[in-house]
Amino acid sequence: MAGRILPVADRAQVRAYARRLTLKYPKELGLALSLHALAAIAGLASPRLLGELVQGVADGSRDVDVDTVALAIAGFVVVQAVLVRFAVYASSRLGEKVLAELREDFVDQVLALPLSTVERAGSGDLITRTSRDVDALSRSVRHAVPETLIAVVTCVFALGALLLVGPIMAVPCLVAVPLIWISTRWYLKRATDGYLRENAAYADMTEGLAETVEGARTVEALGIESRRHRRTDGDIAKSFAAERYTLGLRMIWFPTVEIGYVIPVVATLLLGGLFLSEGWVSLAQVTAATLYVQQLIDPLDRVLSWMDELQVGGASMARLLGVVNVPDDRVAGDERPRGEELEATGVTYAYREGHDVLHGIDLDVRAGERLAMVGPSGAGKSTLGRLLAGIHGPRTGSVTVGGVELVELPLDELRGHVALVTQEHHVFRGSLRDNVLIGRPDATDDEVRRALEAVDAWEWTQALDKGLDTIVGSGGETVSPAQAQQLALARLVLADPHTLVLDEATSLIDPREARHLERSLAAVLEGRTVIAIAHRLYTAHDADRVAVVEDGRVSELGSHDELVAAGGAYAALWDSWHGKGR
Amino acid sequence: MTMTSLPAADPGTPDTRSPFRYLWWVALAQKWPLAIGIGMAILWWLAQALVPAALGRAIDALAGNRMAELVQWSAVILGLGVIQAVTGVLRHRFAVLTWLGAAYRTVQVTARQATRLGATLPKRLSTGEVVSVGNSDIAHIGNAMDVLLRGTGALVAIGTVTVILLATSPPLGLIVLVGVPLMAAAVGPLLRPLHRRQHAQRDLQGNLATRASDIVGGLRVLRGIGGEELFSSRYRGESQEVRRAGVRVASVESALEGAQILLPGVLIAAVTWLGAHFALDGRISPGQLVSFYAYAAFLIAPLRTITEAADKLTKGHVAARRVCRILSLDPEIGGGTGTLPAEAASDVLLDAESGVAVRPGRLTALVTAVPEEAAAIADRLGRYTPGEVTLGVVSLAELPINEVRRHILVADNAARLFTGRLRDELDVRGAATDDDVRLALHAACADDIVEALPDGLDARVAEAGREFSGGQQQRLRLARALTADPEVLVLVEPTSAVDAHTEARIADRLGKARAGRTTLVCTTSPLVLDRADLVVFVEDGKVRAEGSHRELLDAEPGYSAVVTRGEG
Repeated sequence: MAGRILPVADRAQVRAYARRLTLKYPKELGLALSLHALAAIAGLASPRLLGELVQGVADGSRDVDVDTVALAIAGFVVVQAVLVRFAVYASSRLGEKVLAELREDFVDQVLALPLSTVERAGSGDLITRTSRDVDALSRSVRHAVPETLIAVVTCVFALGALLLVGPIMAVPCLVAVPLIWISTRWYLKRATDGYLRENAAYADMTEGLAETVEGARTVEALGIESRRHRRTDGDIAKSFAAERYTLGLRMIWFPTVEIGYVIPVVATLLLGGLFLSEGWVSLAQVTAATLYVQQLIDPLDRVLSWMDELQVGGASMARLLGVVNVPDDRVAGDERPRGEELEATGVTYAYREGHDVLHGIDLDVRAGERLAMVGPSGAGKSTLGRLLAGIHGPRTGSVTVGGVELVELPLDELRGHVALVTQEHHVFRGSLRDNVLIGRPDATDDEVRRALEAVDAWEWTQALDKGLDTIVGSGGETVSPAQAQQLALARLVLADPHTLVLDEATSLIDPREARHLERSLAAVLEGRTVIAIAHRLYTAHDADRVAVVEDGRVSELGSHDELVAAGGAYAALWDSWHGKGR
Repeated sequence: MTMTSLPAADPGTPDTRSPFRYLWWVALAQKWPLAIGIGMAILWWLAQALVPAALGRAIDALAGNRMAELVQWSAVILGLGVIQAVTGVLRHRFAVLTWLGAAYRTVQVTARQATRLGATLPKRLSTGEVVSVGNSDIAHIGNAMDVLLRGTGALVAIGTVTVILLATSPPLGLIVLVGVPLMAAAVGPLLRPLHRRQHAQRDLQGNLATRASDIVGGLRVLRGIGGEELFSSRYRGESQEVRRAGVRVASVESALEGAQILLPGVLIAAVTWLGAHFALDGRISPGQLVSFYAYAAFLIAPLRTITEAADKLTKGHVAARRVCRILSLDPEIGGGTGTLPAEAASDVLLDAESGVAVRPGRLTALVTAVPEEAAAIADRLGRYTPGEVTLGVVSLAELPINEVRRHILVADNAARLFTGRLRDELDVRGAATDDDVRLALHAACADDIVEALPDGLDARVAEAGREFSGGQQQRLRLARALTADPEVLVLVEPTSAVDAHTEARIADRLGKARAGRTTLVCTTSPLVLDRADLVVFVEDGKVRAEGSHRELLDAEPGYSAVVTRGEG
């Protein structure tokens, strides 16, 4: 099974990238930060002014100008509100910009993944990275990063204001620092894994539901309703266990930090009273300090509550950046092919070290010939097909086109020579035309039509309401797997490389229709070299030569008639298929 | 405190008469955690609501230099803080429990409904519709429960503060009480454009995410024949659209942030101004001035919770409506109440419309000129669509549907593998021995697939078998059908995606694996047809001829045209 074969970036790499990204737009960042700082300063004026008022009132002095102070409070509020408006806007705009850049970079890196990695990796891991990790990172960049920055700025200024009120009034705050510090460290150490597990369990649960829904008919047919219920309940139990773990963490952390918030308020009051009675501070200072300490709670709470989100974002970033770490699988040389002959000599190949699946294959494919490869499943046909298409390089031996190793050709050049179509049938979101045009973006409608006709797809595409403009793929018109295979072939007809490797490229098409398709395709591909890995014997019958692959070796090679005459394994199979006894 | 254990063993029967009734049903199912949670939320809010009052008293003590009183009120503040911390976390605990309880229960009843609908589901609902219950609706229903709890507490807190304020200073109290809701309502006009823009942004973002998975899904194609630049530039274009939509959201959002500082701030300034005058006149104490200031600031939070509650309850209602729609559907094909007599169980299965008769204990092959005909006949024989089908003297329509399913298994290529341990996924009825499974794998020529897995039969089938090739999936599905070992097995094109070598082996082994059982194979493969006991040829929906493969090849030109594709 394809496991997690894509790498994950290390911490240093994530940090370096985050730093580069942060400092990439110094002007925008500077603007956003200074606006936030100014807004924070404006927000700190009210408690100070209120402190003055309380002092004046307590002293019973008539000379405190209540109206001016109240007006000043209002004025600072207005200034703060306006600054916040622009600060939030500036930081969001910067965040969106950085975020767009991040995801675009990632998609470009995905699009540049080496061929061999793409072929080998299950799509699961990559899909998780593109959906879940991009989402998690978006949350971080959109909310966690700016909120944390703002909260940190606010905290710093509130502390600064506190120090300005009187350095001694900052002392009571220190009482709570160890409590908050230790409990938060304890929590964060466990939280990220806990939340990741929680998300994974949640995803399993929705996947399980999706499976039940998509397979509803199968569930009914096999009578496995109660099994599916058990699966659902099992998923829920796992999700609940994960939720209970993080809830347990919060059950300890939340009250601890909350008590950590209230202690400084109480300490400020008590110590303030003491200092006041000693005559070290004024009533105004104690009042302002108490309000500042209360004002510290909110931003501090925000910083702490975004911490785990930031950690999750960091983990997602590591997985996104990891895609860059996939080493390239080919080093392009300068040589260019002379001719179209495809030649495999002494080819061996192993997916796992020490387990060769191909054992010294020699095969010359003549330019313009139609070669069919048949053989039992697991014999190595598809592997050989991928080697002949230049996707993997052989472990030993060589696969060349016109005398040049396939894996030493630059990708663009390689595509001009050989292309592979497998039984995979992905339909891209977009119009039918777009789906075919991928093969050659500058093709005309006429050429698209001819390509579709060659694969027997013209009729059904025209039966659709909007013809070639019909939107297909996820969210669009449903295209059957068989029709999807036709589109894949039409794409290839347009791309028009001189050699095509078709790996079960018509397997999903009804046997009654597949043969007609193959014949009309053959007419269009006249003069092209076609290597068809086939499970239907008429494909072999219609080919120029047949290669029988068994146990990683070519056991028989020759024209259909020669092989039938030779009376080997192929002949036996053919007779049986053709209803002529064994 | 003991933890409720989830999920419920039996989620019960939901009330689907209306969305509100559904929500009520969900709430009632967890009335205790919900009630305790509401109690905790009330205490939590109250503890917060009393802090400004205590703070005011403490300041007064400070101003009057009354140390004993200061210590006393400081202790009260600390006590309120501790109560807040304890009730806060308990409230959180019960909020999480009710959230999860509601979400899990909804998943349970939805999954059970999906299995109840069975083959009817794909005809009446799109997969996305049902899956979005798991992806988003459960969150909305959970949120509705959570906010019910916090909202109730917030209402109580607002009431309490009202009483305290009016008791302390009626005019100041009135200003706060009228002013705070006014200020909260004043940001209302900003909410509508905000929600609209957020909605637009979410849609675009959803499209972008689909585009990205589209690229990943089709990466082999793109890396194989090109088109990367095209897709990269498309992605960039859409990504920039999402960015612009995000900036549009931010422009409203930032205005809202500003307004949320400005409006309460102005109110606080007004309260401070009036309060200071009152304090100077001796109508209130300096400490009470601080309390009013703190109350005006505090009230914002419960008011926001009330607004949030209105929003979340509405969304919960909408989600419950979607869930109700799914839950209130019924399966298309109903069953009878008859019983299957033992002798009928081993009798001929006859489809009156086409005349196809499946003989007991034999391997019959069905060849049709067009593939749709075979599928239609298979569906009738398995009673997935209504039809006049009899098993001996009994009509299938008279039998309970699960009895029919147990007796007749239709295995087609749309069938799915499920995620799980391979051994379990093959032996779905749980009645097979290891030998049975091995024999079925052998008959389906799937033993090599299992051998290639590092853990063999204990390997986990991931992603519903998507990691297997099409041919491998088909063989595993065949092995699964054979392991289930039903009295009557109807196989639709079971070898269409395997190579000729393998097909020949399967054809050889199938008869033996089904010896003594009734089997119908819809196929056009000569390899399989040649090994069938009897071949039935259907044209234009009716049986045209019956006989052995060779007899039909010789006698029926229509048959040989279908089977050999003009190969002659």
